[in-house]
Amino acid sequence: MSLYLFQALNGIGLGMIYFLISVGLTIIFGLLNFVNFAHGAYYLLGSYLCFTLVSLTGNFWLALVVAPVAVAMLAWVTEKTLIRRAYHLPHTFHILITLGIALIIQELSIAVWGPIGKTVAVPEALSGVFRMGDFFYPKYRLFVILFTAVIAVGLWLLLERTRFGALVRAGSEDAETVSLLGTHIHKLFALTFALGVGLAGLAGVLAAPIRGVHPFIGPEVLGLAFVVVVIGGMGSFSGALVGGLLVGLVQSMMTTIWPQGASLMIYGAMAVVILLRPYGLFGRA
Amino acid sequence: MQVTTWKKLLSVAVLSATTAVCSAEEVTIYGVKSLSGSFASYGKFADMGSKLAVEEYGDLLGSPVKYEAIDTEGNAGKAVRKVQEAISQDGALFFNGATLSSTALAIGKEVDKAGGVFMTPAGADELTGTDCNMATFRWSVPTYGAIHETVEPLIKAHPEWKRWYTITPQYVFGEALLSNAEAVFEAEGIEHVGNSYHSLQEQEFSGYLTNAMAAKPDVLLLLNFGGQSSNALRQAVNFGLKNEMKILVAWSSGLDQLQELGPDVAEGVYFGAQYWHTVETPMNNELVKSVREAYDMAPNYPMAADYIGTKVILDAIAKAGSTDGAAVAKALEGTVYQGPTGEETVRAADHQVLKDYYLLEGKAASEMQDEDDFAEIISSGESFPDESSLDCTRS
Amino acid sequence: MNTSKKQASIFSGVTLAALAAVVLMPLLLPSATLATEILIFALAALGCNLLLGYTGLLSFGQAIFFGGGAYVASLTMIHLGFGLLGALFAAMIAGAALAALVGLLAIRRTGIYFVMLTLAFTQMAYFLAYTLSDWTGGDNGLLDVPRPPLTLFGFEISDLTSSYAFYTFVAVMFMLIFVFARRVIHSPFGTTLVAIRENEGRASAVGFSTNHFKLLAFVISGGITGIAGALYAMLLNFAPLSNIELLMSENILIMTIIGGTGSLLGSLLGAGSIVMLGDLLSSVWPRWMIILGIALIAVVLFMPSGLWGGVESLIKRWKERRSGASEKAAKEAEAK
Repeated sequence: MSLYLFQALNGIGLGMIYFLISVGLTIIFGLLNFVNFAHGAYYLLGSYLCFTLVSLTGNFWLALVVAPVAVAMLAWVTEKTLIRRAYHLPHTFHILITLGIALIIQELSIAVWGPIGKTVAVPEALSGVFRMGDFFYPKYRLFVILFTAVIAVGLWLLLERTRFGALVRAGSEDAETVSLLGTHIHKLFALTFALGVGLAGLAGVLAAPIRGVHPFIGPEVLGLAFVVVVIGGMGSFSGALVGGLLVGLVQSMMTTIWPQGASLMIYGAMAVVILLRPYGLFGRA
Repeated sequence: MQVTTWKKLLSVAVLSATTAVCSAEEVTIYGVKSLSGSFASYGKFADMGSKLAVEEYGDLLGSPVKYEAIDTEGNAGKAVRKVQEAISQDGALFFNGATLSSTALAIGKEVDKAGGVFMTPAGADELTGTDCNMATFRWSVPTYGAIHETVEPLIKAHPEWKRWYTITPQYVFGEALLSNAEAVFEAEGIEHVGNSYHSLQEQEFSGYLTNAMAAKPDVLLLLNFGGQSSNALRQAVNFGLKNEMKILVAWSSGLDQLQELGPDVAEGVYFGAQYWHTVETPMNNELVKSVREAYDMAPNYPMAADYIGTKVILDAIAKAGSTDGAAVAKALEGTVYQGPTGEETVRAADHQVLKDYYLLEGKAASEMQDEDDFAEIISSGESFPDESSLDCTRS
Repeated sequence: MNTSKKQASIFSGVTLAALAAVVLMPLLLPSATLATEILIFALAALGCNLLLGYTGLLSFGQAIFFGGGAYVASLTMIHLGFGLLGALFAAMIAGAALAALVGLLAIRRTGIYFVMLTLAFTQMAYFLAYTLSDWTGGDNGLLDVPRPPLTLFGFEISDLTSSYAFYTFVAVMFMLIFVFARRVIHSPFGTTLVAIRENEGRASAVGFSTNHFKLLAFVISGGITGIAGALYAMLLNFAPLSNIELLMSENILIMTIIGGTGSLLGSLLGAGSIVMLGDLLSSVWPRWMIILGIALIAVVLFMPSGLWGGVESLIKRWKERRSGASEKAAKEAEAK
């Protein structure tokens, strides 16, 4: 198998994780028109909860369910108490309030889990590698690709086939229609925020055995999610998928072609997309 | 602490005059530590080390030694500004610490201007090379020694490991490790089958590991450090590289990094380290005991480095019998003392401390005697570029 | 007209307040270097405020101008032997030129896309600075940056080596730029900017070429921020890579917003409180940034016009109460 082909496979693996990191951000932006700068911090929290649950119970699968739900619940509470009160303010304040939340989560994480990073073991059943000619690919990463694909399909069904999804989509296209729903809109917003943030938590859990857990990972994750979402189109589900895969592929290929330039390429691509296709590959004006 | 400085300002003129008079007698040592910000994992233990050294020291020149921590906030600019403040407001002269190379280099310049003494464990070779000066002393072994004391013993022990692949962060520090490694490869007849550069912010190494796989090396040499080496190693283990080749992390941070990685990742991996708590030397036995008493833990590298860095400065002040910076710097030059790694020497020519560097091998969880017994020392020794080839031209 | 007269009096009052702060700071703060750092970041916040507060442009690109200014000033002093004012001028031009470049591209988009573009440019500039390590020192930073003496017409006025002398110089620079910024804001150009912020569609319908105005605002902001970066390099004798990081942009933005957008004194207040918060709390409690986080949330929820807005409403309330009290007293006197 040629090196480039394998790098492409690896890029798809990365891209699926990037999709998961970004899709929550895009859903929240689409419906709530709200920029969540705390997205990376919730990812971090997912990772740390995964670490704690795995070290307490030794059961990764339990963490995979419990940690994202816990993160989503926290997000729901934050939405009710803080975020909600900033919707009517300009983007500047969305950024500011979520930056504040991100700082608090990050610093509290250090206070709770200490400044030294943590390692989460790959679950027993998925340790080891698949051999493909001269190359090998971790079973766990393969699992992440498949699992994320399942999540993607589930999300798509949720957004396309349920009443909740219809409302979210309607709201993304035309906020006024949804506001006719009256009081329900609060519930819808809170649920959407919790869902989007829960997905960030899930990404944190899935990435923990690959990346480890480190208290300062948040901003990096956030930056990446922005790139994916902007390239794909803010608010677009398929944009997050294609954007994630694209960024994953570019990053993986660049490691063989011109590694130092990987981040330059990624941010350069984002700038070019905004300038040429202002609403991203899949976004609408 | 900083608070005291703030209280002083209530009656600026009077108090600053009196402190100026007092500080002529009392010795205050300033610890430059990254307590908050993104290098908190380092600064916390470094601060504990300096504090312990000061507490144990007792009186110096007739009064108790004082210690003040300066928080760099993980930011070189803040660090330099606060050091300037300590120098201009409190007449500070004696500094220890700094993790980041940039912070250490810039602080070295400031302390030199003030005619003080600065002992640092930072990684940049420039500290005792092109940017050396009267004030700056460096405890950590340079990249030259880190490579010679890890790569060479492995080649000697396993002549069958002929093919080496390197992964290098692309900036001065990484390049320095790489060029040293290339020199060793050349001298030992090793085939350097490839190198992957990565950027300073990289956290995803699967692509580089794939490159490494394709080259089929006997040994994978990781030349990055801190979080990047942890992630690279973790992902290498995920990719099953441990079964295909040996892995050497040339510049690990020691115990704290192994605590982070855990025995599953670290088992069978080689690590280069500036310090390891099980070293059998008289001073280290003492240090382990007192750290156990004071903090109920085993000393890690930042703690040991800043403990000895602080202690050495205090000893030099005692030897000089004064708080004159130039006299203390002179007293430090050429000193031979018992340090954590055994007998350590402060080389006068470039202010580099000559000390051992260690090659560790990670243990399996089942072999660990206690919770910190992650690795065993398989070789140690001193390697330094000799005095004729130094980049330091200090007047 | 009554309002213009009132405006004029606010003008002088605000400038006097800034002057008072600048004079008092070195006396009240523990060191002149801390006061200098505050003024330097106040300048950067001022530059940011012209964009955010008066033009409504939230730019994550400020670090490019700050870092660019620091590098250009340092390099012209080290390699070309530029003096103090020459290096500051070069930094101003560099900051303005970089801002023109970023602005030219970024103002083609609005809202969150504009924000993301400036963010991408900062990441790219960081990468460039890190790659061109022969010039910038890369990760080690640019060391041995001189602080040349202040000379005017061949006479050396001060060697600026003492921290108080350098503070005085920075303070004079700050006041000059502060007054300049006031002039800009109260010029027809400034009122147009505010009109663009309030309603861009209407401003362009009235016949303003809004993009030209935005670009000019960018250039002014970049020039001021470039000077701030240069002064920072001269203060530290060092230009770290962190000058051009995204985090620097974030910090400048936070200072601006916490202080209060749309008020120049707010920028001074914002820079002062953030720098002092870090200085005061960091060595006492390493997790001090939790407090910063809470402060950010509190500003959004309770004080959207920032600290300066809070101060203003306090003053207003106090004045009302006082005038209320004096009216009451007058009535009572009348009753007697």
